[in-house]
Amino acid sequence: MASALSVHALEKVFRNGFSRREIRALSGIDFEVAPGEVFGLLGPNGAGKTTTVKILLGLTFPTKGEARILGLSARSPESRRRTGYLPEGHRFPGYLTARQTLSIFGRMAGLSRGEVEQRIPALLSRVRLPEWADVKVKKFSKGMTQRLGLAAALIHKPEVLLLDEPTDGVDPVGRREIRDLLREEAARGTAILLNSHLLSEIELTCDRVTVLRKGSVAATGTIKDLTGASALGVSSQVRYRMVAYGMTPSLVGGIQQLDASIAQTNGHFELSVRDYAHLNQVIDRLRAEGAELRELTPLRSSLEDVFVDLVKTGDLDSPEVKPS
Amino acid sequence: MRALWARALWANVEEVFREAAARFTLVAYFALSTVFILLFAAAVNLDVVDGALAGAKLFGKEIEMRGGKVEIDKLVLGFEMGFSAVLYLVGTFLAIFATAHLVPRLQEKGTIDLYLSRPIGRVPLLLSRYAGGLLLAAFNVAYLMVSIWLIVGIKTGVWNERFLFGGGIILFAIATLLAFAFLVGVVTSSTAVSIMTSYGLFFMASILTAHEKIAAAMSMDWGASLVHAGYWVLPKTAQLGQAIVVLVSGGTGMHRPPPPVDPWAVYGTTGLFGLLALTWACWLFSRKDF
Repeated sequence: MASALSVHALEKVFRNGFSRREIRALSGIDFEVAPGEVFGLLGPNGAGKTTTVKILLGLTFPTKGEARILGLSARSPESRRRTGYLPEGHRFPGYLTARQTLSIFGRMAGLSRGEVEQRIPALLSRVRLPEWADVKVKKFSKGMTQRLGLAAALIHKPEVLLLDEPTDGVDPVGRREIRDLLREEAARGTAILLNSHLLSEIELTCDRVTVLRKGSVAATGTIKDLTGASALGVSSQVRYRMVAYGMTPSLVGGIQQLDASIAQTNGHFELSVRDYAHLNQVIDRLRAEGAELRELTPLRSSLEDVFVDLVKTGDLDSPEVKPS
Repeated sequence: MRALWARALWANVEEVFREAAARFTLVAYFALSTVFILLFAAAVNLDVVDGALAGAKLFGKEIEMRGGKVEIDKLVLGFEMGFSAVLYLVGTFLAIFATAHLVPRLQEKGTIDLYLSRPIGRVPLLLSRYAGGLLLAAFNVAYLMVSIWLIVGIKTGVWNERFLFGGGIILFAIATLLAFAFLVGVVTSSTAVSIMTSYGLFFMASILTAHEKIAAAMSMDWGASLVHAGYWVLPKTAQLGQAIVVLVSGGTGMHRPPPPVDPWAVYGTTGLFGLLALTWACWLFSRKDF
């Protein structure tokens, strides 16, 4: 399937002030987003996330490489005809009402006045702002402004959505509603690029993620791949939560002699083994010694663990997980 | 495709007007103009008898009538010549003050992203803001000129249409200075700097009208060359004011005919300056990283 959004060997070097000192924001990143996919862009401050999004929208020009939306170069204004964007810290004119905001930005996207007027009520309902249609934006709370921003990004029924911190300032109920809305859009075939610091949001919403670090791709893959890869990649071990009866000190010592790591924590054991064969070797030993296995659960790293590992270690040669 | 662009650009022009209205720029702009018009209407008291002026008061002060009566046509012409020059200054300064913010506000973080993420090219986006600003100024100039013309016409029964055409030259001057304000706005993102430099340009260019005398007083050749070059490069703001007076008078003054205006030297170089400033602003804006 052709990608809705693609970035290839993208580089950006900013030149600062009169000294023309170079600041490398992106060092040749690659990723693709398919139609109907929710793709997360992660990274610490200064990793290059916003620069990437800005290049995709033609706000900033790349030094090298290519960014394409629906097959069109991101430099072309036409690529934005079917793209919706919610910038971080956006400032809609406070003197406009919600209806006027959607009308002006809808028409700037090429819609007729009639089309815009027809879409506004449904869209405002969708973002839970129907009763605020004729209230000036300056009266809106941060969360409401954010929801209006989402409505403005959706007014022209885009096929690609670029969202920068979409749930910033939104209450937990609103967050869930936004997540649901994004899922609905994705189900309609819209490709969504989500840029957020909230890892839990990314974990709950995204099909795949790319972690950027210092302008390079540190890892790309599904959440499952990344968290699994972290468990394997960082410690070269698979970890399990184990509950067993009859675990004597001599048995624990015996397991350690098998090159497995075992430690008692809060009434259960944490077991680390190399692979399944090694795991079965440990289980055979347990049963041979008369211990009774009650529970064995693989421990996965959270996305936060992966993120911290990748950012902290800064090891760009760590195993990259290919898109599945 | 053309219709899509037209919608997008018109929405942008509309936004300029909504912003002007919401920020009281429009209200202040027209209120100041109205104050000027009302002052003018209240200040002028004419006593016309048989098509000639028997007595006149300006701001309550009696105007001396040489030899008894003055032909009303000539007096109106004199009034309109004087007021067209004043309107040139007032209209131009008000217009720059009311529109110089258009680019700096557009370039603010959080705002520019919203505009550039729409399928409008950067150059059409900037030009539509320019068109919106110019349209706003045109409405105000028309309001000022037509109101003064009506007041004079109603009070004297003399209707000099050439006075209205003077508005075209005022708008031409505004278009040139606004192009420069846009260029400064793109580079500095500062409304204050845009306004100050535009006013500075207006005065500097006016001073350079005496470039021959200034250059003659200079001891260094390069300084004299610089003054001459400045005169030819910068807009001819003083001569434009003079051109309005000539246009309104129909080429004849009350006591002495105003000096003739060289169209190329005044309109050509001024227009070229405005065009280059706007082209440069568009070029910089189209290459800028936000």
